[in-house]
This record gives sequence, C-alpha cells and structure tokens, in this order.
Amino acid sequence: MQSLDDLRRVIRRIETRRPPGAAARPVEAILGGEIQDTGAGPLLVVRREYPLAHAHGRAPLAPAFAAPLPLLAALARAEAPATDGRGLLFLDTETTGLAGGTGTYAFLVGAGWREADRFVVAQYFLRDLDEEPALLAALAPVLERAGGLVTFNGTGFDLPLLETRFVLARRRWPGLLPHLDLLRPARRVFAPSLADCRLATLEREVIGLERDDDVPGALIPSLYFDFLRTRRAAPLARVFEHNRQDVLSLVALLGWFGRALEHHEELGAAELAGLGRLWEPVDLARGLGCYRGALAAGLAGDAAHGVRLRLAAWEKRRRAWDEAHALWTDAARHDERRAGFDPRPWEELAKLYEHRRRDLGAARALVARALDLAGAAGASARVVDALAHRLARLERRLAPRA
Amino acid sequence: MLGRILDDLLTSPTTGPCITATRHFAPRPPVLAPFPPSLDPRIAEALRARGIHDLYAHQARAWELIEKGHHVVVVTPTASGKTLCYNLPALQCLVHQPDARILYLFPTKALAQDQLAELEELARTLPEMRMFTYDGDTPQDARRAVRARANLVLTNPDMLHSGILPHHTKWASLFQNLRYVVIDELHAYRGVFGSHLANVLRRLRRVCRHYGSAPQFVMASATIANPGELARRLTGESVEELAESGAPTGDKLFVCYNPPVVNPELGIRAPYLGEAARLAVRFLREKIATIVFAQSRLATEVLLTAIKGGVADRTGDSGIVRGYRGGYLPTRRRAVEKGLREGEVLGVVSTNALELGVDIGHLDVAVLAGYPGAIASLWQQAGRAGRRSGSSAAVFVASSAPLDQFMVTHPEYLFGTPPEHARVNPDNPFILANHLKCAAFELPVADAERFGDTDVRRLLAALEDEGVLHHAGDRWHWAAETYPADHISLRTVTSDNFLVIDTTARDAAQVKRRQVIAEVDWGSAFATIHPKAIYLVESEPYEVQELRWREDEEKVAYVKRVQVDYFTDAISAKGVWILQRLADQDHPAYLAEQGEVLVAEKVVGFKKIKLGTLENVGSGEVELPQQEKQTTAAWLTVAPEALARVSPSREELIDGLRAVTYLLHHLAPIFLLCDVRDLGSWLGDTTPATGGAVATRESAKRRLMDAERFNPTVYLYDAHAGGIGLAERVFEILPALLRRGLETLEACACRAGCPSCVGPVNEVGRRARATAQALLRLLTA
Repeated sequence: MQSLDDLRRVIRRIETRRPPGAAARPVEAILGGEIQDTGAGPLLVVRREYPLAHAHGRAPLAPAFAAPLPLLAALARAEAPATDGRGLLFLDTETTGLAGGTGTYAFLVGAGWREADRFVVAQYFLRDLDEEPALLAALAPVLERAGGLVTFNGTGFDLPLLETRFVLARRRWPGLLPHLDLLRPARRVFAPSLADCRLATLEREVIGLERDDDVPGALIPSLYFDFLRTRRAAPLARVFEHNRQDVLSLVALLGWFGRALEHHEELGAAELAGLGRLWEPVDLARGLGCYRGALAAGLAGDAAHGVRLRLAAWEKRRRAWDEAHALWTDAARHDERRAGFDPRPWEELAKLYEHRRRDLGAARALVARALDLAGAAGASARVVDALAHRLARLERRLAPRA
Repeated sequence: MLGRILDDLLTSPTTGPCITATRHFAPRPPVLAPFPPSLDPRIAEALRARGIHDLYAHQARAWELIEKGHHVVVVTPTASGKTLCYNLPALQCLVHQPDARILYLFPTKALAQDQLAELEELARTLPEMRMFTYDGDTPQDARRAVRARANLVLTNPDMLHSGILPHHTKWASLFQNLRYVVIDELHAYRGVFGSHLANVLRRLRRVCRHYGSAPQFVMASATIANPGELARRLTGESVEELAESGAPTGDKLFVCYNPPVVNPELGIRAPYLGEAARLAVRFLREKIATIVFAQSRLATEVLLTAIKGGVADRTGDSGIVRGYRGGYLPTRRRAVEKGLREGEVLGVVSTNALELGVDIGHLDVAVLAGYPGAIASLWQQAGRAGRRSGSSAAVFVASSAPLDQFMVTHPEYLFGTPPEHARVNPDNPFILANHLKCAAFELPVADAERFGDTDVRRLLAALEDEGVLHHAGDRWHWAAETYPADHISLRTVTSDNFLVIDTTARDAAQVKRRQVIAEVDWGSAFATIHPKAIYLVESEPYEVQELRWREDEEKVAYVKRVQVDYFTDAISAKGVWILQRLADQDHPAYLAEQGEVLVAEKVVGFKKIKLGTLENVGSGEVELPQQEKQTTAAWLTVAPEALARVSPSREELIDGLRAVTYLLHHLAPIFLLCDVRDLGSWLGDTTPATGGAVATRESAKRRLMDAERFNPTVYLYDAHAGGIGLAERVFEILPALLRRGLETLEACACRAGCPSCVGPVNEVGRRARATAQALLRLLTA
C-alpha cells in the first residue's frame, strides 16, 4: 500500500512538474530574466534599468539621489545612512502571506540602486521554495554593499521577515543597516489629509501615478502558489511588474520628501501642515513656520483646526498671549461652523479671559455660548458637565458679595 | 479533635452503618541524604538560608541521574519536594553557564507564576538568574525583552505551540543553548491533551536539532500506573523513572462513606452532596482545615452554598469557606490560595483544579464528594489532606452513580487497584496531521525525516493534496498563507472564552467599567450561561440577561445579581449519526460496528432546581446554536428477531435499550481506565448523517417509536472531538462489557432499576430493568 501510494505520488509529481508541452518557454524567458549561479544554487534574476529622468507618475527618479539624507533620517527618527544617495538600497518583498513566523517565504525580493546615471532594479525570485538558499546568497552581498536601506513599512514587515529567513538558514543577517522607513514620515505628513497611508494612495495623491492593470496585493500569494503547482509563469509577470513599481515608488517618494524639505514654496496648504508635523519635534521654528504657511495658504476644515490648536499651544507655552488668543478665537469661530464640538479652544479662551485679562464677564459670555454649542452638537456628558461647572463658578464670582 | 470526630463518625448509629471501609496509613519518617558534593556552594548556602540542610533521598538520586545526563521522571506524592528535584540542576546549570537556556513547562499559567515565585525566592543570592514567565499574560512590549534576556523561561504547552515554536528564529539563542526542558505535572498530559503535547515536543526536538542542541528532559508526575512509559511516549526519549519518595508522611485515615438508603423501594440514597456538606460542616465547625472536592463546577457551587450555610449557623461567619474552580478570575483564585496558606480561609470547595500542585499549605481533612473518575485522582485529592506530620483524614462520599456505588461497595477494588494508565496517542491521525502542518511551517520536512518515530510520508503527501504543503527539492515546504498553530487548540475545540459581566450596579459612572466576574469556556457556555440561567459564583446567584455568541461578536454573558432559591440545569437535545463505518463484527443477536460519527448537541431549555431540596420547580426554553463534532464511536444494533423475542412493545424495548445504554456507559470506564465523562452515549438508529435533527430524550423516543423501520442502535462514543481511541477499545471489549452488564444487573438488589444499575426507575420506566436483563441475556448468549 505504501509503495503504491509512493508510486502514485511520484507519478503525480512528474505530471505536475513537467512543463505543459514541449514548446513551453522556460520561466526565465517568460519573465525576462536570466539564471545566475549564486554559489548556493541557480537563481532567476530579473534586471531592469531606468534612466534617472524616467518619470514615475509625475515624479522623476533623480531628486531622490539629491535628498538631504541626514536631515530626512533625523525627521524619520532613524540612524543616518553613512552614504549619499548612491549607496542607498531600495527594497521591497513579495511574500507567501502576511501571517509572519517561520512559514512565510519572501518569494520575490526587489532591490533597487543607482549605477552611474541609471537606476537598476534587480528582482530575485524563487522558482521553487528549495531555491531559498540561492536567493539569500544572492541578496547577502547586495545588502552588505549598501550604506542604507529605504523601504515602505520595512520595519514592521519586510526586514523582520528577511531576517527570519536568514536566521532560519543559519546565516548571519546582513541587514543591520541605517534604515529609512518611509511609512513613518509619510504618516506624519499625510495622515491628516489623506484617507489612508497605503503606498497606492500616496502614489495616486502625491506622485501622480495611476497603475494600469495592477495586481491587488492580497492576490499575490495565491498567484505564486498557483505557479508552484502548475508551473505556468505567465500570470506572474504582473507580480514582477507590481514589485518593480513598488521599488520605483520608494525612489519617487524619497525624492518628494527631499524636495519638500527644501522647497516649501512648491507645496500646497495640506502638505505644508503635514510637513509642520514632521518638523515640529526636530526643529520647532521650522515646524511652526510650516503651520503658519499652511494657514496662510488657505488650509481649511479639521486640518486647519488642528493646526491652530497646535500653534496656539506653542504660543501659550512661550506666553505669547495675544498670538494664542487670536488662534483660539479663530479656532472657536471655526468651531461654530463645524458639525462636532471641540471644547479645547473655548476652555483655553475662558481661562485666558478669567485669569490673564481678568474679564469675568467676557469669560462668562464665552462659556455660555460654548455650552449652547455643546448642547446642540450632542457633546458628551463629561464635556457638558465641565462647562456647566465652569459657568457656575464664574456666575458665583460675578455675583455681588452679600 | 479530629480523632474524636472520626471516632464518632465510625461508631455512631447514624453514620457508622454508612462506613463501608476504612484504611489506615501509618506515618513514615524521612529518608535523608547529604547535599551532593558537586552542588555549587552558593546554592547549598541558599538552601541552608531557607532552613534546608539535607535533601530527601529521591532528590539526591534525581541529582545523580540528571548529572549523568539521563532524562528523568520523578514520581512522588504531593508535597514531597518534587520541585527541588528539577530546580537544583537548573540553578546549578545557570550558575555555571549563564548563557545556557532552560525551559519550564506547566499545564497552567497559574502554576508557572507559583513556580517563578518559588524559584526567585531560592535564587535570590545567586548570580546570573534571568527568569521570566512567557505566556498569554506577558505584555507585547515585554516579550522582546524576555526573548533577549531570559535564561530560564517558564511557559505552557499552548504558548510553546503557538507563540514560540512558529517564531523560533526570534528564540534562536534559546534553541541553540537549550540545556534542560522541565515538565511538571506530567500526569496532566493524558488523553488528547497529552497526545498534543507529545507532538509539540516532537516539534521542539526538531527545532533544537536544527540549532544543534539536544536538551535533557526532567519531569515530575503525580502517582499514575505508567509514569515512565508516559514520559517516554511524550518525549520520545528513554527516561529513568524515580518513584521512591524519601519525604515523610503523617498518620492518615481513609474512609469510604455510602449515604444511607432513604427509599428502599426505589433504591434511593440520601443525596451525596448533602451528606458531603454535612460532613464538611462538622469538621469546619471544630476549626479543622478541610478541602472538599466536587466533580463539577455546578456541584462546587451547590456544595459551597450548603457548607457556607451550615458553618454560618454556628460561627456567624461564612467567609472562612471559599470556592475554587476554573472560571473564577485569577485574582479571586490567588486570594483563596493565599487565604488557605495563611490560615484565614479554613475551608475550600474545589473542582479538580486544586488537584494540581498549586501551593495551598496544609489541610487536615479532604472530603471527596463523588468518585473523581480515576484512582490516580482519588489519591491525588486525598493527598491534599495531611502533609508531612500529624494525623489527617480523607472521606470518600459515594454518589448513587453506578461507578461510585461499585467503588464504595468494593473497597478491595478501590484500595487494591493500581492508579490508572495515562494513555496518549501521539499518532492519532487528526492530531498528527495538524502538528505536521505546524512542523512544516517551522522547518521544511525532509523526505526521509521521521516525526518522532513515525513514518509520515503518506500524511505529507495527503497534506500536499490538500494544498497546504509543497514538495520542492527533497523537502516538504509550508505553502499556504495561514498560520497553522492559530487553528489548532491543544485543549478544547475552540479557545474562545466567554466573559461573564455583572451589570447589577450599572449607573452613569459605571457605564464604561466592565465588571468581569468569571470566564466560561466555549464547551460549557451554552449549558451554563444560556439566557435566564442562574450562574453561581462562590454560591452567589446571578441571572444571565443576555449571551453574545455570534462569530463577529465579543463572547460575553451579561448577568445580574438576583435573590433566588433555585439554580438551573440545562436540557439538551442531541443526535448521533454515522459518517463512516470502519469495522464490524456480526454476533448471533446483534451487529457491532465501529467508525466515525457526527455528534450534535444543542441546549433547548432548562429546569429550575431548588437549592437544598433539589426538587424541580419549573422550566424554560432557550434558542441557541447547535454544536457539532466528529468523533469515533462503537455501536450495537440488536437483530430484529432478537428484539421480537424480548417484547412486542416498541416502547418497552426503547426503555430497555436505554437502560442497557446507561449501564454500558457507566461500566465501560472500568475496562477502559478512563473517566465516565470521556465517553458519551446515545440510543438512536443507524441513519446516516444527512438532514438529522437533534432531539430531546422524549422526542428521540417518540421518533424511534414512529419510525418506519425499527432498528434502534446503542452508541458509545469518544467524548473528545476526533476521538482518542476509546471507541475502538469499546468495540474490542464489547462482549465482555455486555457480560459485565448482565452480571451487574443480576447482582443488583433493587427491584425495578436503580442508579447503580440501569438508572432510577422513575427515569427509565417500570419494565426497563426486566427488559434490559432479557436483552442482555440474548446479547451474551
């Protein structure tokens, strides 16, 4: 029984392994790559070159290599790469799942770097899962050569996954490099103004790239598993293209950040406000400058409200009461037109009138107005209680002494 | 005082006749041994600082065996200093090789916490001790630090299975340097849980091999029949067994108590819970520390209510008696443990949760309310009373269940039978296939590789067909997007627990505060916290207002504190259907078969039962989902001619077959050395599993009576999903089981059925016993 089963299995494997038809082209021909000898077995590597003037969406590739890296690293709270743009390695992986742990493979690793006046993307691919030693052997020198890594969410995903693969293969992990994860600064800059911070969203909104016929990320693992079972490589071409676009987007995004840091004048109001958030913890003066610029450029809506309160908080801290007063007043006025109710500017103004300007009447009028608005907007009981409490106290202080 | 109460118990005219047997255990002095010369002086100093100047002989012997590199299992009674057997070599190892790593496995998180506290106490003056627990309670942000720093990690099999092994690269330094794996409470790993652990350990050893380590296993077990075999089956290594305890024991009396018959006609005895409560109250009133073991969570609460009442009558303080069971929140359990150790809590009513090595100090009396289902558990529970010196007692109060009655009237069996075998079946195909998935996820499986000692090539090929593995080169690789360990729970079908939330005092200020009073596992949730159920926590009644169980909801039950004098007992509907026949055996009067079945259960309503008198005072209906499981079963279909010879009445035949079902279910554990609760039984027919609807006892009977073809079938099935081999064994021993059934029935003194044979007469029907006897005569002819 055992031997019969074995036989069946062998037969089935021969059946599924054999390329469909003698005329079928090899995987490397379909995907446009070549087989390299890595010293740990053969590996399919697909290599593409792009001129630096190549436009990825609206963005050319060149600015990335002039980006002020130490400054960007500081803003992203990362270690500065010991290199200029020429030593950067742009990295993105396609994996057999998002589950993490030791059973998730990086079956396609896309790595990009600059060579003279060209940008090169090399893609290392597992034609089968037993080629992983070859992939790691090919990837290790590329990582060792690099002066710094650029990824999008590499901290949370790509790098731990690759590290797991190296450790699993009992190899030294060569990826302990200065690492600029663009997700972090992207969140600071774009979270308030964009629906989300996925790479696809940033491509569309920031670098003006619409992908044609892109394969949804969620489908990629099953496309690969299908390939393992059927050996039909053609559907994978879209996965390779997807991965190359991801790598190019890293370059374009880095270029955007580099230009944005040095050329505020090109930015819109929302982007300026976002940049302010990026600068604020590192260089306060520049951060506040961005905020003021954003308001001057006509920043509107909730974003403007948030910026006013941030600016006001800093003005309060340096006891610039008039400036703070102006901002809070604007925020409160703006609040009257909003759907929700934010008690913060009202409370700050009430305190300012009561304790700084000693104008209890004005404070009372303000709190009474706030209470009306809070009631109308259906604010929480805690907020309403606090305002009512403040109003009662002001009334007491205003009442003629008996 | 204890002596006087016991004398009275044995001799008074009311209780004396209830005592069916006693056994006296003489005290035993300690056998000591000096500290081994190789013991690091710093550790010796730490021991002396805690007042330990010698080792018991078994501790010294364990040291010797472990030093020689043997895998060891230490089998000695409760409180004999087992932990030192593994703690000493562990500490010695870390003092000398701070980079070495040691892994401790406990069946529960609570035990790991206990042990960490004890270890820290002992290791306070020692260098290089970096000991941490790592389990579901470890905060996410602390996990990285534990992985990086710890050289001694205390965890549980579940965490090893789903949190550590699948991420072994993050634990590379642990696996490279793993010196010892300590497994305490080894006896807890039997049946399905043990079969899982054996496979988790196969995976552990694989990962260790990958990193070049080969840890030594040091294990400790309570007394069972086959600790050495169990240790070998679980670890796959040859293991030295060390069973001779050098620890002293005190003087002890074991008493078998059978509640008096209150209705000879119906064969009814006084309710055993009431008897057990009265006995416990007698001890507690005299300030004698007493532990009462109940056989279910509900019984725990019912007993606690009765005992608190009895104690409060006299002392006005019922706080000295507490409850303890799974489902109570950890803080509550810790408080009870501490109270017991420090003497503020004098009495405790517990499920078998306190059978394990939780430190609760010294108690004088153990009352076992009902036979715990296993000889090993019986002695483990009895061992909770009286530790090292002084006299103590254990009283076994039999319920009217046939097994209990058999035990209490056959004390020679009770005292003479060795404790049970702990059975594990690591090669159970369901369990094996699941762990093979996890193993492939952790490291690709080589073609020639065996899993443990098992040839798994066919399974691997089947898993490829299923699409989760992929063969490449000479290895099988994980090729799916999922994380297989997440879908495999080592303990129950699902790991979802229900939170029980008290909404009684809800006002504006409390809107957000969630008053969680207990947790209930999925398996028992529908029977215990269905809407309108009375849920008892330390004998305080709460009524369930709402149960949220749907997939996309958080699993919670909202309850309100109520004042009621009843509790609820769920009414279940059930069905058993055949999925696949695997073996059959034709007998003259019946056909025996064995195979896979689908068991479906559903809670459809509940009875209200008055506390104290236990009378039925009402009922209600509920709407809850059906729960299904696949398992293995043995079934028996009586030939139509045989049925016709016994009775022309379908109703009588159904009653008689139900009586036979009850009898066989309760007798089978004697052959299988398992618990009654490890088996399920059902009288149905042999329709296949299509379109079957569950039925209550009454509606199932109606269905059989109205059926076109009358072919009633007695099912005995494995209560564990997937089965652990019990049904196959029932199939093998069925003729002997039927003979034992007939003998039991012929020897029973009742007239028309009692709980000790076919069940109480008013439950099974007046002719059931006679019909059952006639049926059994035919079946055994």
